[in-house]
Amino acid sequence: MRTSLSSRKGVLPVVSRLAGVVLVAQLAGATLLAHDMWIEPTTFTPKPGDIVGARLRVGQDFIGDPLRRDDALIEQFVVQAAAGRKPLVGRPGADPAGLLRVDASGLMVIGYRSHPSTVEQTAEKFNQYLKEEGLEAIAALRARRGETGGVRELFSRCAKSLVLSGPIQPGEGDRALGFTLELVAEKNPYTMAAGQELPVRLTYESRPLADALVVAINRTNPTEKLSARSDANGRVRFRLPHGGQWLMKAVHMIPARADAQADWESFWASLTFEIGDRS
Amino acid sequence: MTAGLQGVCRLAHRHHHVRWSGALVLVCVLGPRVAEAHEIGTTRVVAAIAADRSYAIAISSDASALLGRLELAQRRPITSAASAAEMQRAFDAVCDEVPRHLTVRFNDVESAPRATCVVDAADAAPADPLNVLGVTVTLEGVAPAGATTLRWRYGLTAASYALVLKSSPVAETIWLDGNEESRPIALGALAAPPSRAELAWTYLGLGFTHILPKGLDHILFVLGIFLLSRRLRPILWQVSAFTLAHSITLGLALYGIIALPSRIVEPLIAVSIVYVAIENLCTSELKPWRVTLVFVFGLLHGMGFAGVLRELALPNSELLTGLVAFNVGVEAGQLTVILGAFLCVGVWTRRSEAYRRFVVVPASIAIAATGAFWAVQRLS
Repeated sequence: MRTSLSSRKGVLPVVSRLAGVVLVAQLAGATLLAHDMWIEPTTFTPKPGDIVGARLRVGQDFIGDPLRRDDALIEQFVVQAAAGRKPLVGRPGADPAGLLRVDASGLMVIGYRSHPSTVEQTAEKFNQYLKEEGLEAIAALRARRGETGGVRELFSRCAKSLVLSGPIQPGEGDRALGFTLELVAEKNPYTMAAGQELPVRLTYESRPLADALVVAINRTNPTEKLSARSDANGRVRFRLPHGGQWLMKAVHMIPARADAQADWESFWASLTFEIGDRS
Repeated sequence: MTAGLQGVCRLAHRHHHVRWSGALVLVCVLGPRVAEAHEIGTTRVVAAIAADRSYAIAISSDASALLGRLELAQRRPITSAASAAEMQRAFDAVCDEVPRHLTVRFNDVESAPRATCVVDAADAAPADPLNVLGVTVTLEGVAPAGATTLRWRYGLTAASYALVLKSSPVAETIWLDGNEESRPIALGALAAPPSRAELAWTYLGLGFTHILPKGLDHILFVLGIFLLSRRLRPILWQVSAFTLAHSITLGLALYGIIALPSRIVEPLIAVSIVYVAIENLCTSELKPWRVTLVFVFGLLHGMGFAGVLRELALPNSELLTGLVAFNVGVEAGQLTVILGAFLCVGVWTRRSEAYRRFVVVPASIAIAATGAFWAVQRLS
């Protein structure tokens, strides 16, 4: 974001101060057409030896319905720590869907990657949803192609959560898990306090994704959403005004492959973590 | 930064946001929308509609998700309750909000239910952090007269959920996405409410079949009464005492005035059968105590009938109709037994000694033995 702005800095000094952040429109209680999905750990700051439950949640405003463990939907459900990557275990149908035992101190990256599901929507609802998720480029493409009918869409989830056990280990941070669409925090959120800036990078197939809408939602102030478009390097910077739990999300859509028996395919990335209150 | 960035924005409430957003903030008002959800959540809705048109719709859901949505709707701070008791207190403050986010529509008439929110095990010890607290919201109301269909919409879940409609004899499960309005679902008993005459006829039939062929113990008791004497007077006395007695207890039990557990009533009914059969072996006279005892046993049998009638869940408005009709059916069943017995043994009427030796004694022994067997069986 900064990079793309810098060339215009002289022209629009005020804009540059925005650091790409505005508050997103959202009336309390208004229902969105499509829903976010994220991981809600039973605690973001466990002690070594603790068992952490990774709850899967679907909803909006960072308020979500539980999703039980459905092994048929799981492509990957893992935790990445310094020692390596291991799967999250769980009983079918369980909520929390996955459990992990914290072996050592350090930052852990929990990841959930789903297989695609299919949904059919009317043209009206689909167009509305494109607008809500900042997918105007797809709406424009549909218009150019003269597509006005209902839509069959494949969608899949790429959710991540950052959990810190014990003291902060220097040099540790979020890691890319290789998800199709992925948000990667470029600074360890557990070293941050409210009011500080967090750079986040959005990648699609491990390459930076530009011009995608990224939204950040705070647990206790869910109606004050922050949003920004990713720059050419897939980067957004959010100055997080509140401490506590945060959800960041982004959606990317592509025309479905010819053999997919669908028109469009979407990928839903999310990242949850906790930051300290203003120091 | 693209110009599109400013497209999604909002009135900034907090001053530090105003500093950033400045003139770039646009107000975007999002109207009410229909949700499209895909994944299956943990919400479950069971709508039970009784024949008297009262309904109870139980929504079981994740407590923190529902609480968050209700608090958001009331623009309250989002609480993160740790214990079930705290969660219950938080729900008490916002439970009234629930009916604003759902539709209960009978035919085209919208119903306004009362809501109560009960957090699962709110009185239990603090929960394991790995456990997820549930809540059950119960919506109660009365469907309008003549309702034939129910439409349901629930906007407080983002996931797909099952709606189970129980409206005897209909039980149907349909899957809905969050905030999706269901198609009109046909109601069972309400769709064609039985007239009083139909109901009376149904319960008369139930009473009759409760004796013939289902009530072997009652049949044996009535046969025991019949076998005492071939003359009409003793039979009439006993049958009248029995009928009066079981009508009294059936009515009292049905209205909930008396209640005796069936583990007591059922063995005593078996004992009553043994008693009348054994007395038949000793005498063929109608002793005064015989009528009294038959009356007492009738009280027991009436309580036995009541258990059956209660299970049939008669609507309160039709309780008396059902009671009277069921009783009449029971009477008809008993009289049929006695009439059948008369027809079978009529040929013996001239030779009373042979009747006693070849009918009364063996039949009474068999009845007493059966009754004794039941008494033991029902006690164990």
